[in-house]
Amino acid sequence: MTEDQKALEEVVLTRLLRLNSMVQGLVAGMVAGLGVFIATNWLILKGGKAVGPHLSLLGQFFIGYRVTFVGSLIGSAYAFVCGFVVGYFTARMYNWIAAFREGRRQGHG
Amino acid sequence: MDHQPVVIVGGGPAGLTAAYELTKLNRRPIVLEKRDKVGGLARTETHKGFYFDMGGHRFFTKVKEVEEMWHEILHGDFLRRRRLSRIYYNRKFFYYPLKPLNAMIGLGFWQSLLIALSYLRWQLFPYRREETFEQWVTNRFGKRLFLTFFKSYTEKVWGIPCSELNADWAAQRIKDLSLKTALLSMFLKPKRTIKTLIDEFHYPRLGPGMLWNEVKGEIERRDGVVRLNCEVVRIYRTGNCIDHVVVSCNGHEEIIRATDFISSMPITEFIQKLSPPPPPEVVRAAAKLTYRDFLTVCLIIDKPDLFLDNWIYIHDPGVKVGRIQNFKNWSPDMVPDLAKTSLGLEYFCKEGDALWSMPDTDLIELGKREVDRIGLASYADIEDGCVVRVPKAYPQYDSNYRGYLAVVRRFVDGLENFQTIGRNGLHRYNNQDHAMLTGMLAVRNVVLNQRNDLWSVNTDQEYHEEIRVETGAEVRDVEEALQAALTRVFLKLDRVAFGLSVGMAAGALLFLATLGLVLKGGNVVGPNLRLLGQYFPGYSVTLGGSALGLAYGFVAGFIGGWGFAFLRNVAVFLYMAIVHRRAELQLMRRLIEYL
Repeated sequence: MTEDQKALEEVVLTRLLRLNSMVQGLVAGMVAGLGVFIATNWLILKGGKAVGPHLSLLGQFFIGYRVTFVGSLIGSAYAFVCGFVVGYFTARMYNWIAAFREGRRQGHG
Repeated sequence: MDHQPVVIVGGGPAGLTAAYELTKLNRRPIVLEKRDKVGGLARTETHKGFYFDMGGHRFFTKVKEVEEMWHEILHGDFLRRRRLSRIYYNRKFFYYPLKPLNAMIGLGFWQSLLIALSYLRWQLFPYRREETFEQWVTNRFGKRLFLTFFKSYTEKVWGIPCSELNADWAAQRIKDLSLKTALLSMFLKPKRTIKTLIDEFHYPRLGPGMLWNEVKGEIERRDGVVRLNCEVVRIYRTGNCIDHVVVSCNGHEEIIRATDFISSMPITEFIQKLSPPPPPEVVRAAAKLTYRDFLTVCLIIDKPDLFLDNWIYIHDPGVKVGRIQNFKNWSPDMVPDLAKTSLGLEYFCKEGDALWSMPDTDLIELGKREVDRIGLASYADIEDGCVVRVPKAYPQYDSNYRGYLAVVRRFVDGLENFQTIGRNGLHRYNNQDHAMLTGMLAVRNVVLNQRNDLWSVNTDQEYHEEIRVETGAEVRDVEEALQAALTRVFLKLDRVAFGLSVGMAAGALLFLATLGLVLKGGNVVGPNLRLLGQYFPGYSVTLGGSALGLAYGFVAGFIGGWGFAFLRNVAVFLYMAIVHRRAELQLMRRLIEYL
């Protein structure tokens, strides 16, 4: 086995994954935004006497959100921002803790 | 030309390549070959105008210098041939590496089903310890497939039962399979242009001997010397320097002096012939290095066509022959009359054993009977034959050889003006191209003062490269890009770090959501969010509840994040294990070729 092959195995087996904060934030934001958009419009299409009584509770946090098509756009924007913030900071936090733990482990090694 | 000669012991591929390279660098080689012809293990024997290649040498290499030398010497006599080598079992041909459909048709439905069931049984309940070759192969292919396609041939090649053959040797074939190679083999699609290098090969019009005769002529034209029938009988040294060799040429002895010595003679013989002898532990270690030999029964058959293969593996346990070469399929010019066919029946044996010592007439008779028995040719059609014995054809890799070789190597590396090259010189399972490369590198060490490590040139590398060749993954930039990507994708997600970060995010979210509703106020504060209290005892939508929510959110998030990271790592590990296993099997499919 050549040195670079050994190095690859060494890296894969011992090093920790790092997350890209921006990508993680964007993905989490998009998933959350799309989730709210689809969930809202699904209930609208389904219709009925009272449309989305539970989902409309999101309006308590997302000011202006309602279970309407326009509301779905507003909600998805809110959800995107929230998702982005959560995803971004989760990744940053993860990277920071992982770096700390890896550094400590290497120090012991 | 520098008239300080370099003595080269052995006129095989390694020795002649070294001599050829020396002449190019204006040094005068003196090649000493004990036989009456050059080529060593890659020589071509002749009988009544038929050419017989000892072993069947495919000219396929990834070493550029070697490829160039072949073309430089042979020009238009270097043919490009299609490769076909199948297993002949039960009067049927099986593609090798095995192809499932072909194997199923050949073996029949019932036998195939039993093989599949046996495979499943051994996958579920394998041998706990893999000490023998039998256990090792059975654990990977199942007992029935082992008995059908591995047992008989392996025992013919190595001469001992598979239950006594150490598993180390087989394990060695995949030991160095890297994760990188395995992953690359999964990700990259085969490239036809590269794959054809395995399906096709080059071959000299009149066999490998043609190449080596041409090289001999070229060396002599450039003032080099190639002496046939000259056996080195003693090698004299002073301290760590070789002074001279004593050769026996056509019955009389003479001394040949030189400044540098390169030898491709078996390392065991070299140690025996040294004077004064090396330390006793080196002599003892060299004596422990062993070889496997073979003999070829060459048959001339009065039939234009017998089978399409270049060579076939004979797995029938009822006959002793292990492999049969059909030389006309290597090159049509190997036979003087296209209405006839010449076969080389290879019997693996040990120098001095019953088969080796059998008179030639008996061996020819045995060959004729066996060819007739397995149904490849009729006894009556065989019109002539001869026998060629090839001693020390394969260095034997037993369980202790590495240790012994290390002792010998330490001593040989200490000799200042001496280098050992070639398959038997290095006691390494090198193919012709790698043997040639050792000759080239040795010359560069002598003339250009380079420090090439000849012991690191080996065939295992190529064995693993076949997977890479099949996938086209030797393209450097693709590899580098992939390697960078792979290291990112397959690294572990730190469970604790991911748990903590998700926990913090979940705790903060619950804290802020609760606090938001508390600050917003109203008649009934957060009637829905407070339902979380059903899972988080004590939680309420109050100021105190938000602090408790922070803690609960953190704990729940930590458990969720930790669990996610754990499962993700398990999934990645399993994926990598599967990829590695598949690549292992891909290598194993070619195992017979390397037995």
